[in-house]
Amino acid sequence: MIQVPPADREPVRHLYVHIPFCHRICPYCGFYKHTPGATDRKRFIAALVAEAHHAAATIPLDIETVFFGGGTPTLLSHTHLELLLDGLHQTLPLSNVREWTFEANPKTFDRAKLEILRTHGATRLSLGVQSWNSQFLQLLGRDHTPEGARESFELARQSGFPSLGIDLMFALPGQTIDQWRDDIDTTLDLQPDHISTYNLTYEEDTEFMQRFERGEFHQDPDADAPFFLLAAEKIPAKGYHHYEISNYARPGHASQHNSAYWKGSSYLGLGPSAVSTIHRQRWTNIPDTTRYIEAVESFHHARGSAETLTDNDWRTERLALALRTSQGIALEMVGGPHNPTVQSLLEQNLAHIRQTHLALTRKGRLLADTIATELL
Amino acid sequence: MDPALTRNFSIIAHIDHGKTTLSDRLLEVTRTITERQKQDQLLDAMDLERERGITIKAHPVTMAYAARDGKTYQLNLLDTPGHVDFSYEVSRSLAACEGALVLVDAAQGVEAQTVANVQLAMNQNLMILPIINKIDLPGADPEKCRHQIEEVLALPGEDALLASAKEGIGIEDILEAIVERVPPPRLRGDDTLRASVFDSVFDSYRGVVSYVRVFSGTIEKGRRIRMMATGNDYEVKEVGVFTPKQSPRPALGPGDVGYLIANVKSTADVKIGDTVTDARKPAAEALPGFKEIHPMVFAGVYPVSSEDFEQLKLAIGKLQINDAALTFMAESSAALGFGFRCGFLGLLHMEIVLERLRREFGMDVISTYPGVVYEVDKTNGETQVIDNPLMLPEPQEIEEIREPLVKAFIMLPNEYIGDVLQLAMEKRGIVDHTETIDDGRVMLVCLLPLNEILVDFNDRLKSMTRGYGSMDYEHAGYQPAKLVRMDMLIAGEPVDAFATIVHRDKAASYGRKLAAKLKDVIPRQLFVVAIQAAVGGKIIARESIGAMRKNVTAKCYGGDITRKRKLLEKQKEGKKKMKAIGRVSIPQEAFIEVLKTSG
Repeated sequence: MIQVPPADREPVRHLYVHIPFCHRICPYCGFYKHTPGATDRKRFIAALVAEAHHAAATIPLDIETVFFGGGTPTLLSHTHLELLLDGLHQTLPLSNVREWTFEANPKTFDRAKLEILRTHGATRLSLGVQSWNSQFLQLLGRDHTPEGARESFELARQSGFPSLGIDLMFALPGQTIDQWRDDIDTTLDLQPDHISTYNLTYEEDTEFMQRFERGEFHQDPDADAPFFLLAAEKIPAKGYHHYEISNYARPGHASQHNSAYWKGSSYLGLGPSAVSTIHRQRWTNIPDTTRYIEAVESFHHARGSAETLTDNDWRTERLALALRTSQGIALEMVGGPHNPTVQSLLEQNLAHIRQTHLALTRKGRLLADTIATELL
Repeated sequence: MDPALTRNFSIIAHIDHGKTTLSDRLLEVTRTITERQKQDQLLDAMDLERERGITIKAHPVTMAYAARDGKTYQLNLLDTPGHVDFSYEVSRSLAACEGALVLVDAAQGVEAQTVANVQLAMNQNLMILPIINKIDLPGADPEKCRHQIEEVLALPGEDALLASAKEGIGIEDILEAIVERVPPPRLRGDDTLRASVFDSVFDSYRGVVSYVRVFSGTIEKGRRIRMMATGNDYEVKEVGVFTPKQSPRPALGPGDVGYLIANVKSTADVKIGDTVTDARKPAAEALPGFKEIHPMVFAGVYPVSSEDFEQLKLAIGKLQINDAALTFMAESSAALGFGFRCGFLGLLHMEIVLERLRREFGMDVISTYPGVVYEVDKTNGETQVIDNPLMLPEPQEIEEIREPLVKAFIMLPNEYIGDVLQLAMEKRGIVDHTETIDDGRVMLVCLLPLNEILVDFNDRLKSMTRGYGSMDYEHAGYQPAKLVRMDMLIAGEPVDAFATIVHRDKAASYGRKLAAKLKDVIPRQLFVVAIQAAVGGKIIARESIGAMRKNVTAKCYGGDITRKRKLLEKQKEGKKKMKAIGRVSIPQEAFIEVLKTSG
């Protein structure tokens, strides 16, 4: 059984809500999701609200950031969205929310839906564009066209979202560096507040993984490096801060919610497969919508697997996550500036010291995992 | 036993020419063993011997044969190891005999090993009986064999007996020939005890069992004996003969072959070739031919997982009790951890020891490249014997280095002579002469550095002659050579396991080959890693491993953190198991991979 942190501890300030529905399943995506099928969405929403209610009763909460991820949160209908958001507002302390993000796929919302999000507190939209090239959109199994993505972006702008982000993918099978440059340029032309760029990875149990294993796709980290570097050069040149390996933001637009993960703050996750980490307790909700609903209806929560983080686990995570950020890791966490490993990283121009912190250089960022292993 | 009715003989043959089958037949015909006993005890052999068709230990057996002249003779067959690695043991076994049967496969003809072993027998002045075996085979050509026996072995071909050990043809004739043509043991004038030790085995209940041939005097239970080379005295607990089981007898007399047990704790205390005499009335001189045997080939032997070091130590120690020729000393290597520098009589001996460690002791072991023993004259007048490349003095301290040579007998079909000559030249060989064996085959006799034939010579000979080429050799002394020590450096750090002594002219190509192999197996690091081969501080070959360019997880949010942590922990575990050469981390498997595939 999960220990409930004592009430005198810091309240949990970050909330993640997982909406597992997608129109269709993208062949590369490894997250828990499914087409809505016969799922009773009203019952699902009731379960989410019930889970939130139980959490609010047992865990001290003072929510400052909210992130709706998926799946496709914007796939919920107007009515269902209103039902869910009203339910959460009635259940959770959301008055101090500073940032409220929705992941959204192009062509899954209209002006009215955006209006509902805005009036219920959403401040940020993260648009899963992935590519501006219709050939790659098709390969990735995306429903939208480049034009559709552009329209959706404009619509979100007009709806007055204070912060708009675009997600892109690179190192797609067959993608040339010029094609990637075009994607970056097109994105920069739209002047979003935030850009995420993700190297395509082959995830377990995906169609892409099968194709990779059959030899249809190839992976060459060396060949991917110039794609990463191109983004790391071009995007900051337009005034974006490269504040995490895969994330760029204009001043004031860095994701506070994601930054909380990287800083090691506690967060509560609601919905199937959602992960919560509260102080040293981490648990994962049942990654199955039907069983999730049944569990919440019976027990008011749907915690599946759980772990207690040891000091060592904690340190490893802190190191791994902090190294990915522009701020870097506190030097005392890695044995100080004279640690030979640190010295060697400095000599090789893989890292630099910024006052009290060790941060990776652009070259070092490409090797963040290896460097984290070296520093462990 | 009456020496006049005793015959002591060996069988020498190329591998697969039917030595074991003939031995079996002789034992059956003389009713020494029954068919039923055959499998269990005939050779009392290790699996390894049976599998490879080789004999590692001597297997003496005493047979009683009722000859056509109406008398019953005691025939002592001394089955001996046939390989050059054990040529000293073979020479001691042969010295215990008056005659030798030389088996030649009627279809294959005389082979390299036949030549080498016949030479050993001739050196002992034995009566040699050629036997053409397998005459039942469709491809048998006894006339051609007779011709080869004359031409190549310089033995009277018309005297050769025809037999098929498998079909039981000619066995009686062979037994009669042994009685008629092998001379009885020659008697000396006095009755002072002189017996020669030709092998020994360790029995965990009875201690060391020494195999002896008595030349004069008698040995019986209770006698105080002296081993003349070591000077140690023992009281005899038991003597007996091999029937083929060890069967106690009241005494062993002149001409007898048998065993003695005398409270000896380790085979290292019983030197092969030593003379046993009476402690109270010792012989003035030992029997001729004794030599201290020294390992010819050295290699590092390491457990694949370092925690098995103690177990490996026990295992090698146990092997050594029964194999006094094996030497070992603890050593450590930055690349391979803790292990032993082992000395072997030759490559086959080394293979046998490694195989026995694997099979009999379940040890997972890896060896470094085998090397030979060099003699080094230093500028200060000292002479050093070097069995480890790391111990070679600095070039400026060296006056001369000498390396061991072998005289190799290579038999091959005519059409491959060009290729084989080229191979011999590549291996720094000097052709002594070639002999025509018959219209299809030649024998190439050449001098080769032992070091050059250690690793792949035989394999290459076999493959370039489609399996028809065969080789044997004998040791042929030392000769000066332009040898250098080559070090392999990884990121500037020498890797001890790959240090070798090579000929100066071959260092660069060998260095390139090794560097390329290391390049393939060493994982990329955060920085560029240079792999260099160096001789006396000079880089003679170089490869480089490019720096790793990218290793970073794309997405890392709330739900991904545990997975990320586990990934890093796994990478860290993997790194812990690696060996650090300077700042380069290399999995031990990488070194093992190179050691396995190189030569």
